[in-house]
Amino acid sequence: MTDNIAVLIKDRNRQYEGLRTSLGLLLEMAEVKMFVLNHEIENMDEAYSENMEFIDEMEGERYSNNRDNVEKYGFEFATLPEISQMLKQARLVIPF
Amino acid sequence: MAQSLGILVSSDKHLDYVINLTEAAHKKEKEIHIFFTGDGVKLGLQPDFIKLVGKAKLAVCDVSFRAHGFHGREDEVPGVGFKDFATQARNAEMSAECDRYLVL
Amino acid sequence: MKILHIFRSRPDETVDSLMVSFSDQEEKKTALYEADVDWDALVDDIFSSDKVISWW
Repeated sequence: MTDNIAVLIKDRNRQYEGLRTSLGLLLEMAEVKMFVLNHEIENMDEAYSENMEFIDEMEGERYSNNRDNVEKYGFEFATLPEISQMLKQARLVIPF
Repeated sequence: MAQSLGILVSSDKHLDYVINLTEAAHKKEKEIHIFFTGDGVKLGLQPDFIKLVGKAKLAVCDVSFRAHGFHGREDEVPGVGFKDFATQARNAEMSAECDRYLVL
Repeated sequence: MKILHIFRSRPDETVDSLMVSFSDQEEKKTALYEADVDWDALVDDIFSSDKVISWW
């Protein structure tokens, strides 16, 4: 098990909160994989967009099982079974 | 050294879970750290929040608290001092330093 | 590796799918939404497990 943290974001109303937490963890030098599950990002406003860019700059990883997030916002596609495998490797799993 | 438990509270739905787990862990002499973020910050203004005081080290995400329009009501949150209205870095430290970490 | 799964609410299909990869490991499950949670035992389980996941 590598020392990484998985942030799972399933609740549409908490997409930004999960992003902020992911960034906070990255800034403290954790390896972070952020997963946006099922739903397209609902509010791709300036704040979300800027923080998402920070995630990329900090070498955080972004995955989604929603094709719109892949095509519109540059998430890497992963199915739920693939995400499950990545959770198995994570030291911590933080669901939002 | 006591074993430590970090709890991230990101929902306002389950203050009872937070209190029950904290009380049980406190009885077993665990060191408990709780960080309230997102909707979880609403719990700081609930009457039962005081049950956590003295049993856990409490901190609240300042950005979330302000985003909910609560700025100015910091002194209504028992057991959380000025310095404990903190950034997400506090949660990151908790996740790195506590022996166990979970989300409620 | 011993995994403790904590459920804050009844697991939906997404949770079921995400848990699949853990099935080859020693698992314990606690549902907080049930009426009879033994919180003392839960604390023991948290510290005796190698990994704790508190699902939605």
